[in-house]
Amino acid sequence: MELIFVNILDGLVTGLLLFMLCSGLTLIFSMMGVLNFAHASFYMLGAYFGYEISTFVGFWPGLIFAPILVGIAGALVERYGLRRVHQYGHVPELIFTFGLALLIEEIIQFFWGKNIMAYDEPDILNFVAFSIAGNAFPAYKVFMIFVAMGIFLVLLYILTRTRVGLIIQAALSYPNTVQNLGHNVPLVFMGVFGVGTALAGVAGVIAGPVLGTFPGMAVVLGSIVFVTIVIGGLGSLWGALIASLLIGWLQTFAASYNIVIGDVLVSIGFTRPENLDDSALRDLWTLTVSQIGPILPFLLMVLVLAIRPQGLFGKRES
Amino acid sequence: MSAPAIELRGLKKSFGLAEIIRGLDLKIEKGERHAIIGPNGAGKSTLFNLITGRFHVTEGTISMHGERIENLKPYQINRRGLSRSFQITNIFPKMTVFENIRCGLLWTMGYKYSFWTLVSRQHHLTERTEEILEKIKMTERRDDIAGVLTYAEQRALEIGITIAGGADIIMLDEPTAGMSHSETDHIVDLIRDVTEGKTLVMVEHDMGVIFDLADKISVLVYGEFIASDTPEKVRANAKVQEAYLGAASEED
Amino acid sequence: MNTTTKATASQRSATPLISLPQLAPWLIAILFLLLLPVIFNSGSALTIMNQMAITIVFALAYNMLLGQAGMLSFGHAVYMGLGGFFCVHLMNMVEFDGLWLPLPLLPLFGGFFGLIFAIIIGSFSTRRAGTVFAMISLGVGELIAASSIIIVAFFGGEEGISADRTMGPETFGFDFASQLEVYYLTAIWLVISAAAMYLFSRTPIGRIANAVRDNEERAEFLGYSQRYVRMISFCASGFFAGIAGGLFAINFEILTEENLNLGTSGVILLVTFLGGVGFFIGPIVGAVVFTLLQTVLSQYTEIWQLYLGALFVATVMFFPAGLTGLLAMHIQPFKLGKSSLLLRPYMRMLVPILVCFLSIAALLETAFHARHAPIGENEMNLFGIVFDSHGVLPWVVIVVLVLGSGFLVKRLAPELKEAWDDANYLEPRS
Repeated sequence: MELIFVNILDGLVTGLLLFMLCSGLTLIFSMMGVLNFAHASFYMLGAYFGYEISTFVGFWPGLIFAPILVGIAGALVERYGLRRVHQYGHVPELIFTFGLALLIEEIIQFFWGKNIMAYDEPDILNFVAFSIAGNAFPAYKVFMIFVAMGIFLVLLYILTRTRVGLIIQAALSYPNTVQNLGHNVPLVFMGVFGVGTALAGVAGVIAGPVLGTFPGMAVVLGSIVFVTIVIGGLGSLWGALIASLLIGWLQTFAASYNIVIGDVLVSIGFTRPENLDDSALRDLWTLTVSQIGPILPFLLMVLVLAIRPQGLFGKRES
Repeated sequence: MSAPAIELRGLKKSFGLAEIIRGLDLKIEKGERHAIIGPNGAGKSTLFNLITGRFHVTEGTISMHGERIENLKPYQINRRGLSRSFQITNIFPKMTVFENIRCGLLWTMGYKYSFWTLVSRQHHLTERTEEILEKIKMTERRDDIAGVLTYAEQRALEIGITIAGGADIIMLDEPTAGMSHSETDHIVDLIRDVTEGKTLVMVEHDMGVIFDLADKISVLVYGEFIASDTPEKVRANAKVQEAYLGAASEED
Repeated sequence: MNTTTKATASQRSATPLISLPQLAPWLIAILFLLLLPVIFNSGSALTIMNQMAITIVFALAYNMLLGQAGMLSFGHAVYMGLGGFFCVHLMNMVEFDGLWLPLPLLPLFGGFFGLIFAIIIGSFSTRRAGTVFAMISLGVGELIAASSIIIVAFFGGEEGISADRTMGPETFGFDFASQLEVYYLTAIWLVISAAAMYLFSRTPIGRIANAVRDNEERAEFLGYSQRYVRMISFCASGFFAGIAGGLFAINFEILTEENLNLGTSGVILLVTFLGGVGFFIGPIVGAVVFTLLQTVLSQYTEIWQLYLGALFVATVMFFPAGLTGLLAMHIQPFKLGKSSLLLRPYMRMLVPILVCFLSIAALLETAFHARHAPIGENEMNLFGIVFDSHGVLPWVVIVVLVLGSGFLVKRLAPELKEAWDDANYLEPRS
């Protein structure tokens, strides 16, 4: 029972972290119609910038300045890259951000090499916050939950209570009409791209010490992020939130239970074949739930798409 | 007597709470040239989109030659012999004029999803395409990319694509919109020529074009027909004059 | 201008189906493929040529989606990979279970398995084009790549599975133990597949795929279901990708998770786009250039992937029609007989641009060396020159070269632009 509680908290951490990426990605997609393939790369940039800053002045300034730097990098990419490619259409835009993801990974390796960085949580948070039935819950994860919640609340406030938020909301529901309202759309685009990537940067700074700061971190999280927003429904912020939490919990729970699938099959009435070595399906009998954990988000995506092609909360069909 | 080419019964369409089409009944006989007019926002294009399967019907029925077609897919309706053009030019801009027309022919000439015939080998197909190019007087532009044509040429090409498949019901959405007088005359001649013996349904704003072409006119105002009759009777109809023609004739 | 187009138009409608001018490029290509191993006959050259041929088949198949049908896939490696995995299993069945299957037919089976999976996955992924299709292809690709590590029985886990191609029945006296025999087998399949894909683009479905790419809604109002058209394009592409997988299995005799994952899917997108998606030969150009670049660059520099990444991003930004598009841009000046106008500015640009690129590369190499070389190893060798990457002088020289050549390129650019505009218009402009 206590394990479930720990898993709920762990899943919450993963889910909120995913949401920090998904929210920026969704904002950018809804406003500009561009699915930023390089979004997870900005998350990685956040982690590396955070690390680099932390080696000079410690963790906390990194938490402030790394996302700002990432946001500036994002805004520059929008201004000098994306805006140029925009004229060719959405598919080239997607290809551009894909190329950008490759390039950012190479640039990271150019400066920091292939090894994992010694980026750790600050000492002040390096203690056990509480423990449940022998399972320690580190203070840093509590901190992650608070940061993610804080960002979520700020975002909610901006979207519902400010003028900029109203424009963004209008753009979410009526993507083509906002341009006619006389707002400086290119500037709004640059801003949204900057803020969206900065959010990914924050996620990178706080995830770097826990999940590891290495050149593959973008790829590891990247495809999960895309799967999440497809499940939630492209362009839906609530969908992104629900799907992020769903996947966070799905992965955490799967990882912590060592149930063998064969046992499950037996318990629902299948008989185990005598000689497994010859069977092409032998893996089905010997695998554990924690082993198939990494593919669960993708399976969930296929399942959701088969039942609801537009995703859980998707409204727009195209 | 055979069933009407198109028949609407109690047709309704809502977007959210807004009811755009509010119960339409209409019969368009075979071979009739029927114009639908009405002020902006009356729901003319919505009606077109309902008949051609672009939008789902909220309530009521649409029949074509006596068979129900509401809520079918656009391609299913097209295969039954209904073809339409669009208010905003809707062609294949990156393909040549020739290929644009050929695309309009492929399905009805029975090629369907074939991947075992080569289009260049089909002399029949090529000849038929050439004929239509001749008809819309664009043989000269045969190998030009459609995207670089002038606006009027693109409109003519659009009509060419629409009639290419030989559908017996042709629906044209504002075919003369944005054209000069001489271009309009040219297009009207073209429409008259290519829809010979077919059922024509068109939305149009240019009264000259309508009285020139149409056998019957339906006047759509706020999602309802206020009149549906011959041009002379519609012109004489007091309600129509008040709602629509009044303003237009004053301008003349 | 008008008279010339009319002339070609009437010519085209009058010509018979297969004329010599149409066949000529194919005959030249076949001759070239036949002679290639005579010129480059070393083992490594054959390996590179085989790899090139496989990449060409795969890139052409990929372009049936991206270029012909306008569908961007981030998971197309799956169909090549699965085709390959099944072929490896078939080879093992030939070796151990006595299955009678001549090796030259194997790629066909790879194609069928690619097709089967394309039918299964395409049945739900082709509902939408654009971003949604791209995301689903990514998700499914990652699902299958991740599954391949878990399902050891079929995919062999992390090590993958391997086979021996020489265990089958001999075909016309060939046992395919030598690289050269494999080369000719690959080349034959390359020609067959390329011809089939070319012909496919000339069928009604191939033409309508273009129409759906350009304007899916209009195509629906012409009687075509956009979903069916995409589905058929997708299946055809999966089939030819599977053939590429079969060829890969024959050549390398091993398949691993790497053949299925996002990395491979990304590379084929890069290859195809680099070559140019708007042209049939685009992917061929892309595959040849990419394989050569990869082979050459990876021999000389550790950061070759950085160069490729930068090249890719630059292509998307500045030459979205790819290398073939860049060449095709020169057809107009040629037709107008004004290509000579371009010669002089090109010659003048050549040296500064070359110096500019090389000095930027030198800057990157030196910076990389200075940052990553083991402590104490300050000396580096660049273009045959040995210098100290931590020294001030080399940095000054490189920076001066970058700035100097950059300045020259900028100075000369307007002249080139003017010559370009002149060469593309019939009348000289005032």
